[in-house]
Amino acid sequence: MSDANLRHAEVAIIGAGPAGMAAASRLAEAGQRPVVFDLAPSPGGQIYRQLSAPQVGEEVMGRDYLRGRALLERFENARLDYRPGSRAWWAQREGQGTTLGVLAGGRSELWQAKRLIVAGGAMERGWPFPGWQLPGVMQAGAGQILLKQGGLVPDAPPVLVGTGPLLYLLAWQYLRAGCPPRLILDAAPRSRYAELLRRPRATWHAGHYLLKGLGMLSALRRAGVTVKHGLEAIEAEGGERLEAVRYRLGGRWQRVGASLLLTHFGVVPEPQLCRGLGLAHDWHDGQQAFVPRRDAGSLAAEPGVWLAGDGAGIGGALNAEREGHLAALAILAAEDEVVAHEAAPIHRARRRDMRARALLEALFRVPEGWLAAQPETTLVCRCEGVSLGEINAAMAQGAAGPGQLKAFTRCGMGPCQGRLCGESVTRLLAGHLGTTPEAVGTYQVRPPLQSITLGELAVSSVPPEISRSLRS
Amino acid sequence: MFKRLDKAVPVGEVTIWLENQPRRVPATLSAAAAVLWLDGSAGYRDHAAGGRRAPLCMMGVCHECLITVDGAPNRQGCLVPVAEGMRLERQRRSP
Repeated sequence: MSDANLRHAEVAIIGAGPAGMAAASRLAEAGQRPVVFDLAPSPGGQIYRQLSAPQVGEEVMGRDYLRGRALLERFENARLDYRPGSRAWWAQREGQGTTLGVLAGGRSELWQAKRLIVAGGAMERGWPFPGWQLPGVMQAGAGQILLKQGGLVPDAPPVLVGTGPLLYLLAWQYLRAGCPPRLILDAAPRSRYAELLRRPRATWHAGHYLLKGLGMLSALRRAGVTVKHGLEAIEAEGGERLEAVRYRLGGRWQRVGASLLLTHFGVVPEPQLCRGLGLAHDWHDGQQAFVPRRDAGSLAAEPGVWLAGDGAGIGGALNAEREGHLAALAILAAEDEVVAHEAAPIHRARRRDMRARALLEALFRVPEGWLAAQPETTLVCRCEGVSLGEINAAMAQGAAGPGQLKAFTRCGMGPCQGRLCGESVTRLLAGHLGTTPEAVGTYQVRPPLQSITLGELAVSSVPPEISRSLRS
Repeated sequence: MFKRLDKAVPVGEVTIWLENQPRRVPATLSAAAAVLWLDGSAGYRDHAAGGRRAPLCMMGVCHECLITVDGAPNRQGCLVPVAEGMRLERQRRSP
């Protein structure tokens, strides 16, 4: 590989959500010129998507969306190298730096980043139930993306199901838009709210989150939206597309016609890049997900690699912004700038917020035994069409790890590269083997970390070790 | 399946060609969002194992939004912004 093909960045940042924007802005203000690779066509991440040209105002979205404007303007006015529509499909640690393969505009470039901040964000948890592959079943985040991107709302009242703040936020936004949901099915039992009384300190810290949630819930109830707690099971029915939703409450099945079912079973760190970098991960019991390991103070995962925002563990938009800021400060401190006085109050605010987070995690836990209780025809891996029954059979035949299960059944080998079924496979193996998710681990992640076509590779500068690695 | 809010901020439109038919769509949409807005999720694409599929996540994760863009198959429609003259074809055989 000739050096002419390699581009250099002092600091590269992956992602331009709150964490990436905060990190980049702070570094730019210190005179650096970070290179920011963003999968999206404009900055904001999921939470502040389309905020540079909002399609819907505060009267529908609420205040938290518009709140991102200050950060967005800071980012847009900063002197930095913003590269929208960029896919980091290759990442490899080399010495103290990282080599990145980045696809943009149909061709790939190689970048050598001396320092890397990974701020790639979260994704919605893949959560199988019968019929979740039917057109008309979407994740709640998708509904919100359509709202932000184009002011699009369902043309018939949807059914919302799952657990977590986003479920009620979306329902409330639909209500404000004049198209309230037909029914909300909350997988958290009503008794869950006793947590609030058991943990008064955390409840105090979480006060404003809880008030916001209660305000939304009461607005929905006042508007006549039915909210049912303690959902036990759900099925999407239909041929070519969703026609009805069946659900079980208190042991009794009921059925409601619907053309759109929006599900939300929490958000988890999007794993590809951190896994691709070979970073250590731990199973987080509160978040019920793997999170990459990093230093709690500096947010460094390895020398020269910092992790910020929800991709490093779910903390919400404000926490992500704080972490981006802290990662920038860690880089400046490494260059002997005196920034400790700036970091201390951010750490304090972050710790306060994290106490509230623990309560939210307890309130919105997904039901642990859910997957094993699904009918055997339920698809676990949507891409390859692998059912729960096929996974169970492979485990019974001795597939003892995610890699073997993949070889036995092809689960995780489709276009999404195991993002949606990885957690399910880990959970099923842990249940079958009577061990922990941590002991099971997850799929081995190999490049390409994002989809890239052979045609795109052909017109790109690709070093020999990459083509060798892709062949192997 | 989805409608545009009356109170949405006015936005420019572009003409895309969906299955060789010219269609006007808001310029802020992704290709996948445009298809959902125009025709809903029914018939979005076929799956190799049989049955129909349509976008699930709209944020680059699920790959259910695969669509042929300007002749190139298997593009993630949710990550491709619409553009004037863009040609979209539904996939009748796709992974």
